[in-house]
Amino acid sequence: MSNVPKEAIEVVAQSIGISNLSPDVALALTPDVEYRVREIMQEAIKCMRHSRRTVLTTDDVDSALKLRNVEPIYGFASGDPLRFKRAAGHKDLFYIDDNDVEFKDVIEAPLPRAPLGVSVTAHWLAIEGVQPAIPENAPIEALAAYSDVKKSEYKEDGIPVDIKLPVKHVLSRELQLYFEKITELTRRSSSTLFKEALVSLATDSGLHALVPYFTCFIADEVTRNLNSFPLLFALMRLVRSLLQNPHIHIEPYLQQLMPSVITCLVAKRLGNRYTDNHWELRNFTANLVSSICKRFGHVYHNLQPRLTRTLLHAFLDPTKTLPQHYGAIQGLAALGPSVVRLLILPNLDSYMQLLEPEMILEKPKNEIKRHEAWRVYGALLKAAGQCMHDRLKMFHSLLSPPAHAIWKSKGRVATTMTNKRKASTDNLMQQPPLKKLASDGTGGAMPMNSMQVDMQGAVGGFSSSVGGLNVGLPSMSHQLPKEHMSGREVSGQMVKGSTVLAQAWKEETDAGHLLASLFEYFGESVFTFMPKSELSLFL
Amino acid sequence: MDEESVRKFVAAYLKKKGFKQTENAFQEELNKNTNNSSSPISFNSQFDPDVAKHILSFSEFEDGPAKYQDGYAKLRSWTYSSLDLYRHELLRVLYPVFIHCFMDLVAKGHVQEARTFFNSFREDHEMMHLRDLQKLEGVLSPSHLREMEFAHSLRQSKVNIKICQYSYELLLQFLHKSQSTTMLGIINEHINFQVSPGQPSSISDDAESVTLTGSSQDSANQINQKEIHWGLLEDSFEERLEKAGGLLLESEKAEGETKEGDWDENKKKSIEGAKQGSSIKKLKKDKAAGATGKNVRPEATPVATAPRVKAELTLPVIPTEVEQSILEDLRNRVQLSSAALPSVSFYTFINTHNGLNCASISHDGSLVAGGFSDSSLKVWDMARIGQQGVDSLQGENGTTSSEQVLGSNGGKRPYTLFQGHSGPVYSATFNPLGDFILSSSADSTVRLWSTKLNANLVCYKGHNYPVWDVQFSPVGHYFASASHDRTARIWSMDKIQPLRIMAGHLSDVDCVQWHANCNYIATGSSDKTVRLWDVQTGECVRIFIGHRSMVLSLAMSPDGRYMASGDEDGAIMMWDLSSGRCVTPLTGHTSCVWTLAFSGEGSLLASGSADCTVKLWDVTASTKLPKTEENKSGNTSRLRSLKTLPTKCTPVYSLRFSRRNLLFAAGVLSKTV
Repeated sequence: MSNVPKEAIEVVAQSIGISNLSPDVALALTPDVEYRVREIMQEAIKCMRHSRRTVLTTDDVDSALKLRNVEPIYGFASGDPLRFKRAAGHKDLFYIDDNDVEFKDVIEAPLPRAPLGVSVTAHWLAIEGVQPAIPENAPIEALAAYSDVKKSEYKEDGIPVDIKLPVKHVLSRELQLYFEKITELTRRSSSTLFKEALVSLATDSGLHALVPYFTCFIADEVTRNLNSFPLLFALMRLVRSLLQNPHIHIEPYLQQLMPSVITCLVAKRLGNRYTDNHWELRNFTANLVSSICKRFGHVYHNLQPRLTRTLLHAFLDPTKTLPQHYGAIQGLAALGPSVVRLLILPNLDSYMQLLEPEMILEKPKNEIKRHEAWRVYGALLKAAGQCMHDRLKMFHSLLSPPAHAIWKSKGRVATTMTNKRKASTDNLMQQPPLKKLASDGTGGAMPMNSMQVDMQGAVGGFSSSVGGLNVGLPSMSHQLPKEHMSGREVSGQMVKGSTVLAQAWKEETDAGHLLASLFEYFGESVFTFMPKSELSLFL
Repeated sequence: MDEESVRKFVAAYLKKKGFKQTENAFQEELNKNTNNSSSPISFNSQFDPDVAKHILSFSEFEDGPAKYQDGYAKLRSWTYSSLDLYRHELLRVLYPVFIHCFMDLVAKGHVQEARTFFNSFREDHEMMHLRDLQKLEGVLSPSHLREMEFAHSLRQSKVNIKICQYSYELLLQFLHKSQSTTMLGIINEHINFQVSPGQPSSISDDAESVTLTGSSQDSANQINQKEIHWGLLEDSFEERLEKAGGLLLESEKAEGETKEGDWDENKKKSIEGAKQGSSIKKLKKDKAAGATGKNVRPEATPVATAPRVKAELTLPVIPTEVEQSILEDLRNRVQLSSAALPSVSFYTFINTHNGLNCASISHDGSLVAGGFSDSSLKVWDMARIGQQGVDSLQGENGTTSSEQVLGSNGGKRPYTLFQGHSGPVYSATFNPLGDFILSSSADSTVRLWSTKLNANLVCYKGHNYPVWDVQFSPVGHYFASASHDRTARIWSMDKIQPLRIMAGHLSDVDCVQWHANCNYIATGSSDKTVRLWDVQTGECVRIFIGHRSMVLSLAMSPDGRYMASGDEDGAIMMWDLSSGRCVTPLTGHTSCVWTLAFSGEGSLLASGSADCTVKLWDVTASTKLPKTEENKSGNTSRLRSLKTLPTKCTPVYSLRFSRRNLLFAAGVLSKTV
């Protein structure tokens, strides 16, 4: 009936020396005990309020007891650890754990340090309504949070408010230190600390005030240090972290940020040494560009068009160097398969003509050039492959029995592409800086070697060439062999029954053309690399 | 209904209740009556059979505790399934029925059932009445009911519920149809319906209509009918300043001649802000002492719209030079508005070890007093700290502290220590000139200290319990105190007995504030009401009902028309003194509002809270709008928050606008918050 169990009454009775308390008495006391306790607590809360506190302390309970003319309970202080112990086996039964203390220990214990004396300091909380950024005031992020809340409040109220106040842009000392530390780490770039700094940049709230400074910093450093590869890479990582941070509204600064990023994608030279792996930087930056487009493309309608125009311009300009082309291709490829289809593939023909002589030059002095050409070739291949993969996926949803006739050519092209890929990687494998790509290539080659199911192997190889798109593939690889098999078996009749589903047909023929042309561009030079057995399977 | 059946009822009733003797007596009487063959019980002919049935059922089921549970459950489910349009009105009925059912059960000794009943339905009401429920929860025996003030007052008074005609009929129909005599009984006994024709009221009125304060609504309404004169004092400083406007020297000289020695130091500033675009009027007031009475002058400032009233107290005299400096301050006052926010100077207490109970700032901001739970009162002279570095300051204090009468350990303290209380100091207040401090303490005394002499001058004993708050009047000399003993008292510095005792609150009086014209004081209490008292008569002239929890802070607008009150939940309410109604509630704070302050000309309200913020509110938007409702419809009358100034983990204990409209704030740096 009462929240106080009668056992508690009995325990207290025992502790004050009443051993023969009848259960009835305990039972009768419980409601009253509860009421009194509540009463005391109510008074204690009053005392707490008048002490301008929001946390109840033992002092408040003592004051409440005094109000009721009851002797306070001695021996408890708010800072003490809890001395109530729950009795084993009972839910709400507690007792006080009263330890014996050696008198000597108490006497000999060293005096605690004297507490600091009370003092008062003065500062400006606000000057004409604006809070100065001094250490005494709450940090800026708190302010920002408050102003956000306030803005939304106003909107709800529908009261027109002049929110725009000429606020001085002030940085707290902490933020300034933070900024300096980050920029310094960026310049040194390789330490593990820098990684942590990047994580902090990507996750910490309250850095918004620093964004303009970071943007300026990045722009400055990029223009000044085009030949310092590690710094450029560090700067791009910085950009990525800033983009990742959910607390930062980076949109207003994109305008300033984009030139630096594009520079790192298509600049003529990035880094001053041959060993600098600027390809990797370009890849990284390409991903950055695509993520920016994905995130802000719908907000800034002209963002993607402008970007594509710039990149396409670089791609189509024969006077630009191959690394620049590479960057442009990577950038375009990162923007999605449809961009590739619309912008790269139509130009593939002419471009390949340009590229091929570079690729087959075998003179030693042109080794670098050749390497670059193969790189570009790889990038093109990858872009085209991605595009193809996209188309293929589409067809799977559209696939209808009559369409199977095409499978052959498609399968062939897919295989050739894979093999082509292998060829290029084989070629590139000889060159030390390309380990990563090379391993990709071998990874792709392995399923091919096993080759127990023809198409599966092809798709496996294909998947390796399209890198990050593996996710969509497992399902495909199951579907593809099956359908292909059936397709082969019945292909004879099926070709004739192809009048159905004109739409699907149209798409397929489109793709067929595409494939054919791709095959043309890439295929001829690679056929020699293909193992005879596999070739025979597909041709 | 015939006589016989009545007899049967009565006999059955008596038997059931176990009133043996009464039953016997009744039988005897009955016999006698039958002998006489005359019927003394003649009234019964008016009863209709329906009522008889009720009486019968009443006697049958009367003490079945299940009846309450059933009846309430039925009423509740009926209410929840009633028409949308009327539901919220009917819901209001549930809460009073609920608590009275509970108390009835307790009163009849069915404690176990009461507990079950309470727990099964308490969720319904927790949102609106959590605190009340927490109080009632502890009631476990009939004796508690008698003892507990809150329960007692609930039992005594009726709840007023506004309800529309149709809802009322619905309710009655239901009660009759369902034979819930228990519920009907409770509703009849404890609820007073104010049936209004037409449409049901809007949901937004809900809060107002269901506040159970324990005090009878009727009497509150009656009290609120009384006339009050909220205007400013005639001839205040502000008024004089305005007049002085162009020809300062002359007029002041002239005034000096005519009334030298009669100036009182009423520094209430009034602002009629909005209408006359002509800036703020600084109304100056000079009030002739009642004895001289010669300077009753006609309204000298036509622009001033605040009415003028005479002071009912004899007001103290202030020296001419002080008056001059006050005038100077008022002349230099910064005009604040929603576009021109004040500067805020924050005094942070550090290393208080949770010991600081209150902080107070003098009118010019130069002195800060802190009341501590170790019974001490400490005063910092901020002007001195500002001038000198800490080192030199400490050196100098070696000499100053020797003057301290009470400073025992003489030495290097940057503050003046006042010792004398024997319990935690809960409040401190400076007089307008800053030469006296009053402090109130848990030892039930109020002490007067001189900052010039650094000594305790007077100890005022009168309260019986801790004194929660003490406030100097705007003119000094008089002060008011509020105590746990449920009274507020008015004192003057020269008498050790209180001049008036204001009794009427149902729980602790937690805070007190003077009206601008010194004729009224307002008190806020744990009974969730704010009352306004006439200082001269000691009568309660207004009751403001609307807070949902303990009222912690009060502020009066300088024009005397409005009052702001802040409570434990963080709500601030703005009241119109003349109508006694809430102009607008201000929400924004999330924790106790410790302090409120109006700016000098009344255009801004500052609030300081335990949530570590100072908020500035545009008062002109809220208070002026109701008058000009025509041009702006809708709920634009809500006070708008102009600015939130967060502090660094520092709950704001005290706020004060200086005469020049600089805002001072004080608080304790608390690491745990």
